[in-house]
Amino acid sequence: MLKIENLTKYYGNLKAVDNLSLEVKKGEIFGFIGPNGAGKSTTIKCIMNQINKTSGKIYIDKELVTKDNYKIKEMIGYLPSEVHLYTDYKVIDMIKYSDSFYSFNTLDKALELANYLELDLDKKVEDLSLGNLKKLGIVLALMHNPELIILDEPTSGLDPLIQEKFYMLLKKEKERGKTIFFSTHILSEVKKVCDSVALLKDGKILKKDKIENIIDKHSIFVTIKSNSLEEIKDELSIKEEGNKFLYDKNINDLLMILSKYKIDELLIEEMELEDVFLNYYSENL
Amino acid sequence: MIKRELKINFKSLIIWTFVLIVIFSLVFLLYPHIIVDNSKSLEELLAIFPKDVSKAFNMDIADISTALGWFKTEGNIFLLLIYGLYASILGSNILLKEENDKTIEFLYSKPVSRNKILISKIIVGICNILIMAIIVMITSLIGLKLCDSFDFEIIVLLTLAPVLPAIILFLLNIFISTYFTKTKQTIGIAISLVFLNYFICTFANISSKIEFIKYFSLYTLVDVRKIIEKSSFNIINVFIFVILSSILIVLSTCKYNKKELA
Repeated sequence: MLKIENLTKYYGNLKAVDNLSLEVKKGEIFGFIGPNGAGKSTTIKCIMNQINKTSGKIYIDKELVTKDNYKIKEMIGYLPSEVHLYTDYKVIDMIKYSDSFYSFNTLDKALELANYLELDLDKKVEDLSLGNLKKLGIVLALMHNPELIILDEPTSGLDPLIQEKFYMLLKKEKERGKTIFFSTHILSEVKKVCDSVALLKDGKILKKDKIENIIDKHSIFVTIKSNSLEEIKDELSIKEEGNKFLYDKNINDLLMILSKYKIDELLIEEMELEDVFLNYYSENL
Repeated sequence: MIKRELKINFKSLIIWTFVLIVIFSLVFLLYPHIIVDNSKSLEELLAIFPKDVSKAFNMDIADISTALGWFKTEGNIFLLLIYGLYASILGSNILLKEENDKTIEFLYSKPVSRNKILISKIIVGICNILIMAIIVMITSLIGLKLCDSFDFEIIVLLTLAPVLPAIILFLLNIFISTYFTKTKQTIGIAISLVFLNYFICTFANISSKIEFIKYFSLYTLVDVRKIIEKSSFNIINVFIFVILSSILIVLSTCKYNKKELA
């Protein structure tokens, strides 16, 4: 559905995106993850043609994205990280104005979405809180039933209740065959909603894979409190400092070794997505 | 898009037009009484002006003791400057406002081309300048009809001709705004351009030695003296206007299509 080929973007001498390639399949929720300044928003702005690519090509539904090919935008629903709308309008006027750009009726879905997200239609845009502005942004991004939904940090400003409703909404869109490109740095939501992810750092993709492949099920975190900590670590061939370490060998061997020593406290944890990312980012520093 | 643009720019159009109408209405109402009472002192005052200065303000070919005379001289300055300032300021922010307020992210996510955004804004700007000129023309026709003197052709030409430099100033400022990202960066340029053009034209009229500099002023397009003296308008100016407008529209389109909207 979305294919990026060798995208590079320079801002002066600064390389914001470095030869980035990825493909998002139809019906997939794709997490685009990275710390601030990794190049997530720049990539999205290139997809939306707001900024000029230094090099590279972007295809949506096999069609090359160019400035002249604006009709392709009927297929895209875009939610920017910061929602800026016309402050002189009421929410309903903003929805009607957005509707005026399409050759088909988008109002019914817009009103349904606004109702679902508990958005007051008669409020003026300038009086909306950050969260409500985000809700309106979501309505404007989804009201025309786009095939590709591009979301840049979509949940910032939303309260937990609305966040859950939003995740439900995304799952419903996915069930209807829509493709979602989800840029975020909140890892808990990635695990909750995404099928695949790409890890981005300094404009480069460090890794991209399905969520289940990224989280290594065989690795565990072990925390031990014992007077014999150093001997245990030696026997396990652990070189990490401190009493918490990553263990990726046979668990029975671990238990055998631990049984030989007096242990005051023991905690064994499954590896979380956060740990995977921290591992990747620290490895690539 | 055009409907929204017309709506949001309506308020400033009304304010600028209102300023002109109030000035003109006050003059048309009060001028005959002031002049009748002080006609002698006015003649003495005018005699002080050097001939070239009188010429620069058209006082040598207009009888300033009538309201129509005022309209041809001082009134004309108001028309040139206020149309120009309104058009210039409008041009400097009508397009750039979307980027300044970051609403371009919403607008450009819709199925609309950059050319359509630009052309819609240009249409609205030109419409607003024309609406302003037509309202001022009607007010002047009624005002001067009720006053002492009336010349339909001259009034129509004097109120409509300044639209030409105003539209060029509008387009020039749109083009300049494609190089900027914030409206506060362009407003100063917009105002300066109006006064620069006006003073170049005025100085060229004052001194015959530097008359050639009038070709560097957009206000030369109006040719006020020909309107006043012959009640006619130089058609070649319309031709130059069309060429300049087309060049500026093409340049703005090219630059806007390459611009980074973020």
